[in-house]
Amino acid sequence: MNQVLVQTRALALDAYRELNSKRLFWITLVLSGLVVACFAAVGINDKGLTILWWSLEIPGFNDTLFTPATFYKLIYTAFGIAFWLSWVATGLALVSTASIFPDLVSGGAIDLMLSKPISRLRLFLTKYVFGLFFVGLQVAVFSAASFLVIGIRGGAWEPGLFLAVPIVLVFFSYLYGLCVLFGVLTRSAIAALLLTALAWLMIFVVHSAEQVLLMQRVSAEIRVEELTKSVDQMAALENPSELMQSRLKDRRADLAEAEASVPTWQRWHRMIFAAKSVLPKTTETVNLLNRALIDMADLPQPPEDPTPRSGPFGGPGGNMRKTQERMQEIINSRSVWWVLGTSLLFETVVVGLAAVKFCRRDF
Amino acid sequence: MSLAIDLHDVRKVFGRKVHALRGVTMQVHRGEIFGLLGPNGAGKSTLVKIMMTVVRPTRARGTVLEAPVGQKATLARIGYLPEHHRFPRYLTGRQAVEFIGGMTGMDRSACRRRGGELLEIVGMSEWADRPIGDYSKGMMQRTGLASALVNEPDLVLLDEPTDGVDPVGRREIRDLLLALREKGMTVFLNSHLLSELEMVCDRVAILVQGEVASQGTIDQLTADSRRYEVLLDGPVPDWIDGLGGHAVVAGERIKLIVPGSDPEVVQPVIDRARSEGRVIRSVTPVRESLEDLFMRAVRDPTTGKVAAPGARIGGGKAGKGGSK
Repeated sequence: MNQVLVQTRALALDAYRELNSKRLFWITLVLSGLVVACFAAVGINDKGLTILWWSLEIPGFNDTLFTPATFYKLIYTAFGIAFWLSWVATGLALVSTASIFPDLVSGGAIDLMLSKPISRLRLFLTKYVFGLFFVGLQVAVFSAASFLVIGIRGGAWEPGLFLAVPIVLVFFSYLYGLCVLFGVLTRSAIAALLLTALAWLMIFVVHSAEQVLLMQRVSAEIRVEELTKSVDQMAALENPSELMQSRLKDRRADLAEAEASVPTWQRWHRMIFAAKSVLPKTTETVNLLNRALIDMADLPQPPEDPTPRSGPFGGPGGNMRKTQERMQEIINSRSVWWVLGTSLLFETVVVGLAAVKFCRRDF
Repeated sequence: MSLAIDLHDVRKVFGRKVHALRGVTMQVHRGEIFGLLGPNGAGKSTLVKIMMTVVRPTRARGTVLEAPVGQKATLARIGYLPEHHRFPRYLTGRQAVEFIGGMTGMDRSACRRRGGELLEIVGMSEWADRPIGDYSKGMMQRTGLASALVNEPDLVLLDEPTDGVDPVGRREIRDLLLALREKGMTVFLNSHLLSELEMVCDRVAILVQGEVASQGTIDQLTADSRRYEVLLDGPVPDWIDGLGGHAVVAGERIKLIVPGSDPEVVQPVIDRARSEGRVIRSVTPVRESLEDLFMRAVRDPTTGKVAAPGARIGGGKAGKGGSK
């Protein structure tokens, strides 16, 4: 048999044995099974929420609000993917896989591997891919179980659920790439894990800051639009009363103030957006599944709130629903290629650095 | 005789200051057992790691199994047991040997067959299916030796193969090495155990502070020290200087030392002693042990001090130098 295939098979078998020896891999898989079981136990009917054979009547919360299919897809994306797979299972998977590269490059072990007829780059990439493969396996099992639950309980056979496998895998790979780099640099699983957690936190902080600044920017823009409209309407009145003239004066002052604040928020948002652009977009990557699975029109809409008001942090306010809608439009207008492309570019650079270090280092 | 290893001017500088190897030139013939000796930090493991592509040389010319140093494809024909090797603890001995076989490109059935045979040879067949985490140091070494031989290599490099192995195991490993030589395999041994090397090695090289201090067969290297020792009764003879020897008092007897390896050199001394009616207790041909040779190589001839352990910092000339 071809030498490359034989070596790849040997490495695959070794990767399986390594993960098999770590109980955490199986614990995560069992926990994922329990999550899906809980998922299957919850339902919605004309009276409210059902949990196994108990019914919980909640006024206004029944299958007229959501169809059972939408209800299950929402739970799947909002809890199964956005919480369980993206946070808990990813954290556990990082703990399971963090030691792969530190163990590989440890003294005594690396000599055995590098002294074989396999290039360092191929050895590195094969180990990297197998680390991802077993995480993919966990997501695939979770998705398959969820597919059955949504099909049987929700009546919707949605093959799009399996998009979770590549999406969660790509999401995990951003963090795993960092973990591999730190593992190669420090040769310590604990250091690699802690540094990856720190990087993850930093990415989360930048993402949250971008969301807050986007909200402030949009809110300020909407406030300017609404004040402009209000001023135009008041100015168009014939023979306005003194009170109306006074209000018009106040509105103009408010408009001038709001217009002055817009460039400031835009500038701050541009800066944080530029910083975010070079980092992996973890949240947006996971939210790609929402875009694919959930039709926003199926979701209940919050009531209209016509009153212009101050925004959070004392910034210029606006109609909250309109703000949210416009933010959602802006976020959705960010192309899949921007979300994945820039993130994968970041990952490529990180993994590339790790590969260069691994290939050039003396052990 | 063709060469299994033919190295010229192999250099390795770690960072910018630590000169681990300073122009090593070394030849190992096919089918011989070659021993590499040297004090701690002399560069022995670095040299082996360069041949096995674990360490990248600063400069290296030469061949290993007639392929340029560092060529990955050649490694399929080489077996390697690193010093302080560490197999993953989740593998059993059998899995470890088969994994190493797979990494050299052997198909699974061949790995199984050969792995089973080797584990039997190194005395690990009963423990072969137990996790390596349960193994003692000696058992690890035996398993490592089996893994180094699983691909039926033309050349095997063993770094401290008897480290942690009990005396019975050492004897078995020595016998195994001799059997491998009989089959035509070249064995490159890196060890501190001079007496063991002396028993099995055809040729040796002594590495001191990154340079080959001496290299050759043990007979060649000890030729200068060969002598005959004649033990006899009576007073110190005044004629011994004239016959090219000297005398030392050995208790109640006299030991006459005559340099040379040819039996002809000692005949005049025996004749003269017999003509004086002295009782000759023994005539013994003597040569330097490998340990004596080693100590002579690592000792500075002018100061008499033993070379300090560790690589040389900076690029200056070492106290000892040049290969024979």
